[in-house]
Amino acid sequence: MRIFLIKSFFVFLFLAIAVRLFYWQVIKAAYLQAQAEGQYFTDVKTQAQRGKIFFSDGAILTSSNPSFSMFANPKLIAKNQVANMAYSLAKLLTEQGLDVDELAKDLVFKLSKDLYWVRLKTNVSLENKRAVENLNFAGIGFEQTSGRFYPEGSSSAHLLGFVGSSEKGESKGYFGLEGYYDGELKGISGLVRHEKDALGLPIIIGNFLTSQAKNGKDLTLNLDRTVQYIVEQSLKSGLEKYGAKAASAVVMDPKTGSILALAAFPNYDPKSYLNFPKEYYKDPIVADQYEPGSTFKVLVMAAALNENVVKQDTKCDICSGSVSLGGFIIRTWNNKYRPELTAKETIIHSDNTGMVFISKKLGLDKFYSYLENFGFGDLTDIDLQDESSPDIRPKKGWKEIDLATASFGQGIAVTPIQMVRAVAAIANGGYLMEPHIVKKISDENRVFEIKPIIVRQVIKESTAQQVREMMVAAVEEGEAKFTKTKGFKIAGKTGTAQIPVAGHYDPEKTIASFVGFAPADNPKFVMLVRYDQPSSSIFGAETAAPTFFEIAKQLFTYYKIAPTE
Amino acid sequence: MTIIKTFEPEETTRKLPKVYIILAIVGLVSLMLIEIWVNNTMIAYGERFAKLTNAEKNLLMENQILENEIAKRLSLTNLASESAQLGFSAAQSILYVR
Repeated sequence: MRIFLIKSFFVFLFLAIAVRLFYWQVIKAAYLQAQAEGQYFTDVKTQAQRGKIFFSDGAILTSSNPSFSMFANPKLIAKNQVANMAYSLAKLLTEQGLDVDELAKDLVFKLSKDLYWVRLKTNVSLENKRAVENLNFAGIGFEQTSGRFYPEGSSSAHLLGFVGSSEKGESKGYFGLEGYYDGELKGISGLVRHEKDALGLPIIIGNFLTSQAKNGKDLTLNLDRTVQYIVEQSLKSGLEKYGAKAASAVVMDPKTGSILALAAFPNYDPKSYLNFPKEYYKDPIVADQYEPGSTFKVLVMAAALNENVVKQDTKCDICSGSVSLGGFIIRTWNNKYRPELTAKETIIHSDNTGMVFISKKLGLDKFYSYLENFGFGDLTDIDLQDESSPDIRPKKGWKEIDLATASFGQGIAVTPIQMVRAVAAIANGGYLMEPHIVKKISDENRVFEIKPIIVRQVIKESTAQQVREMMVAAVEEGEAKFTKTKGFKIAGKTGTAQIPVAGHYDPEKTIASFVGFAPADNPKFVMLVRYDQPSSSIFGAETAAPTFFEIAKQLFTYYKIAPTE
Repeated sequence: MTIIKTFEPEETTRKLPKVYIILAIVGLVSLMLIEIWVNNTMIAYGERFAKLTNAEKNLLMENQILENEIAKRLSLTNLASESAQLGFSAAQSILYVR
């Protein structure tokens, strides 16, 4: 019996060992293997660098900048050392012009916390990091981070957008190019997995698994650095001079659709975008809608000439006075009327009654179809995030008065990019181009070039030529003649559109604009300048037109275009 | 006839010369020793490898910082400010010579 019991005891013991072994070697095998690998394998994530963005001449518009976050382990710092350490660090890290004591007090507060980890300062430069490391303070360390760097400051802010964080805490581009091309710019992180020894050093002959980080692709823009600078300086000075609430300008190559410059104010600093109102983030050139006013007349005229319903010398038979339509009275901007007004003079003198005549000749069906052909009501597909397009009311909802007012650019909403693209069709012989900011996308291995895209032909070349002549005459003989650039043939049109407020138009609040291209015979650029509610004068001829000519004058010098007159 | 000796053809047995066997053994042992020596030496290179990797990372980072510094100095905003300090101003009129 005793032998049986002893035997049973040993059998039970062996069974227990077997079960335990089974538990550790089979059931917990994966867990233990992971633990073991954690001890002798180390994973190092290699961050992919966000792609750079270059101007057309290869100069950097934005790139990544390594910076450091300084942290401390207060538990490793003796309490009697805190003040001394804080002041030493503050002396090194305080930026010029700022108070050392303030930073020192902040550091003392953070170093006195009962925590294992506390962030002391972000955006520490490499130079300062090395200076701090030379102090050999225990408990101080650095984490490398990466931010965006803008050598031109807040220039091109709307065009660029900014880089923020996604919900997962990863870098993500918002608005502008950073938003539109976020997928191309962000890259793919890599991973290096290698065996390590007891000191944590890599074992070269051990297992080494690498997945190379793939840096983000670089973008080269069509944007010309000098043109952008000229436009921004002129617009900024005009904003102040004319007391406007906002200003914007866009310059495009009419033959290719390349955007040469794009600026808007007020703008923001993409590096510290959180310090600015969210309303500033949207690019007004692609996202704001406005009533174009008289600048729209050139497009309606182009439609009418293209359809042969009028010629340049066709006389208006309703222009001897104001026009009454559907209970509304349509007047000219200055209440002056010309009974023998020709189509060409309608553009020169920006005559609203003349445009009503033209629109009646054209008819709603054709007018509407040209609206669509010129790209209104549709996105232009420019490569910027957050482009929007105001809807055009369905044709069956249009009344006679709507056609009349739309003929001089009121009662219809457009975006600035739609407007400049449509006028570019007149400049280039009748072709609607797709606007593009980016010229090419490149990485280590390949370059992808974005070619110009012709959307469609809207008007004949002969029609474009006629409208061009009218626009040149408008600059030479119209309200803007006093501020035009002498010696150069510029085609353009002023616009002064009243802003609708609570169901009616406010006569004191306008969008003053000027759209044009030059040199008229072989346009190098087409440009739209727009002021929102200028206070010095409500008229485009006295605000947007002078700014346009000022920019054009500088562009003629830059492009080495000699005067022809 | 008295048979003195039966004729039997000699067996041709190929025996590997001892030299080759010894050489093979020596070769194997040498290779083993070399492998042990290489492994021993390479293990110590872990620290050097880590230093080189760090040095590469730091140099790339410094390159990027320098590139950015150059871009900042060549920016039009900076050039405009420096040229203004040097007394340059925008041309008021331009003379075209045909």
